Amino acid sequence: MEANVRKMTALYMFVSGIAILLMMVLGLLMLLAQGKMIPLGQDTFYEMMTAHGTFMVGAAAFAASAVMWYFLRQYVRLSFPIFVTHFVLFLTGAVMTAISIFVFRFAGAWTFLYPLPAMSAGMWGKTGASLYLIGMLLIGVSFLLLYLDTSRAIIREYGSLGHGLGWPQILGKVKGYGPPPTVVASTMVSIVNLVSLTVGASVLVMSLINLFQPSIEMDPLLAKNLIYAFGHIFANSVIYMGVIVVYEILPKYTNRPWKSYKIFLIAWNMSTLFTIIVYPHHLLMDFVMPKWMLIIGQVFSYLNGLPVLVVTAFGALMIVYRSGIEWDMASSFIFLSMFGWVAGVIPAIADATIVINHVMHNTKWVPGHFHMYMGVGAVSMLFGFMYYFIRGNERKIGYADMVSFWVYTVFFLSLCGTFLLSGKVSAPRRWAVHFPEWVPYDRMGAVFAVVIIAAVTVFLYRFFVSVIIVQAKQNIEVGPRA
Amino acid sequence: MYQQAAWVISVVFILFVIFVFLYVVAHSGQRAEYEPIQKKGYRIRNVWFLVVIAAMGLATFYTLRDLPFERPAHAADPTVVQVEARQFGFVLSRNEFRVGEPIAFQVTSVDVNHGVGIYDENMELLAQTQAMPKYTNTMYYTFEKPGTYQVLCLEYCGIGHHVMTATITVVPSQEGEGK
Ligand code: HEM
Ligand SMILES: [Cu+2]
Repeated sequence: MEANVRKMTALYMFVSGIAILLMMVLGLLMLLAQGKMIPLGQDTFYEMMTAHGTFMVGAAAFAASAVMWYFLRQYVRLSFPIFVTHFVLFLTGAVMTAISIFVFRFAGAWTFLYPLPAMSAGMWGKTGASLYLIGMLLIGVSFLLLYLDTSRAIIREYGSLGHGLGWPQILGKVKGYGPPPTVVASTMVSIVNLVSLTVGASVLVMSLINLFQPSIEMDPLLAKNLIYAFGHIFANSVIYMGVIVVYEILPKYTNRPWKSYKIFLIAWNMSTLFTIIVYPHHLLMDFVMPKWMLIIGQVFSYLNGLPVLVVTAFGALMIVYRSGIEWDMASSFIFLSMFGWVAGVIPAIADATIVINHVMHNTKWVPGHFHMYMGVGAVSMLFGFMYYFIRGNERKIGYADMVSFWVYTVFFLSLCGTFLLSGKVSAPRRWAVHFPEWVPYDRMGAVFAVVIIAAVTVFLYRFFVSVIIVQAKQNIEVGPRA
Repeated sequence: MYQQAAWVISVVFILFVIFVFLYVVAHSGQRAEYEPIQKKGYRIRNVWFLVVIAAMGLATFYTLRDLPFERPAHAADPTVVQVEARQFGFVLSRNEFRVGEPIAFQVTSVDVNHGVGIYDENMELLAQTQAMPKYTNTMYYTFEKPGTYQVLCLEYCGIGHHVMTATITVVPSQEGEGK
């Protein structure tokens, strides 16, 4: 069984890793096109943009869900068949979306904003749009299954999801620490994603109905609310799953405990609530929205920064400080990921301010902040996990890896810098063709992207080679049961 | 102006965060007992928490006084302009204005979601709102300088998204009429 779990987890990480690498290449091509260094048809650009957004978010979430599953199963009884089903369903959905994009030319972006899928101005047809929407639906169902299982298992072990979030400890009914951090984080993610996936599935189904029966319309503002609620929560859940690696690994490396004390539990409860309700910050420029929702969008986005800024990142700094920690690839990536998370939150909070959003919404500032948060934050957690997964094979991990780590760090930050700078000079996001004013940033970004891709190739190569060796050794670690 | 503010604030904070993380890395080697570190850490954290909350509170207080979707006081009787977005262009009921003339852009769309962003001659984004089918967003703006302005689509709307532009001409205010 343990061997199967390891095999399956390795497969998850490998598939996602390859997808992320390939999508980085598409990212590079987009930058080269915007920088006028290669001729890329505008239709091809928007297809690549759709693929890049869909598969980056998809693969990162997919890998992060495996990380969560891998660690959560130390504490609760999870179903392995569901883990396998999630894998198969997800891949089926992903293949369908890939076909819709590259064969049927669907380019409605990963946000499939209603009614764009049905109104392509001639670029793609019903087949492309429906394949994409159905593919996304399958992906959604695959995640839904997984979170239903994690919720079930947590409820079974701890009594309720509220217990998983440490309510008895917060309310003072029970003395001492709450459930292990991994359980708390998994509970939060299960809750927010059961919400996001239900919302996402309903808007996908409505879009599909509208596609085949155009007379049945949806309210476009309602659709926008549903889509951004889904997209925001789901994309954010990646880092809340990824942070489980941090909770699991740093205590081992520093030989210090990371416990669910009261403030920690309060922070995670705040994150649960705020992650669900801050999505209106994507609709700040929809002036017809109720004013109170837009103000909530700003105020709660600020507050949503508190748990990470004050509790999670601070905890990581404290546990490392004067700990005698050994800096290998895993611990380095983990530490980097906490930095990326905090750093990415800053421009995000700036942009959630209504007056700033008024002149920065849908500029490149937005990809600027989320590439930092995703690329330096979430994806670093995944690489950190991969290196942790193959430890015991350190002899092979050497110079090339550490150099690649620093290259990745420095150049990914620089890439985000070029995006943020483009945003500062008002370059819109999602424009296939750029004005001359914005071209220098695209060219710089393209150069950085090449180097990033080289570094990621090293990480994946190491993972692939090592997994095969470690697998052969059947070197298995079984975690404690709570 | 807000772009500049966002950039400076972000860079300063990110540099601060880099400094803190590097400081901790530099002091990670020698192992010390955890309990005193935690004690001191929690004290620092409390101060840090108060600083962050105070900064957020101040920012909220000042930024919420100037909401772009509220009609500014001087625009009691604005020039009303209909803006209709479609794949892939804009139709403006009027595109010549005077400096100082308060304008209410009533923005809608006939097909998918679009965005209306007003850019000045230096390609700086001055104001924007979303153009939505079935809804009308009203954006107030008063031009301060004469010149040629551009409207760019700021919501992805399909293959011709980047060709969706329009121009606006602003002439100097006439004697006695300008505000
Ligand atoms: C070498 C690394 C990468 C490069 C060169 C790159 C490049 C790009 C470019 C050029 C865009 C389009 C920007 C525009 O709107 O004009 C983009 C969008 C995006 N990227 Fe990346 N990216 C990289 C890594 C990542 C990673 C690691 C993630 C997440 C895990 C990610 C997620 C996204 C998403 C969600 C979008 C939005 C797509 C849309 O607007 O529909 N990217 N990226
Ligand atoms: Cu448009």
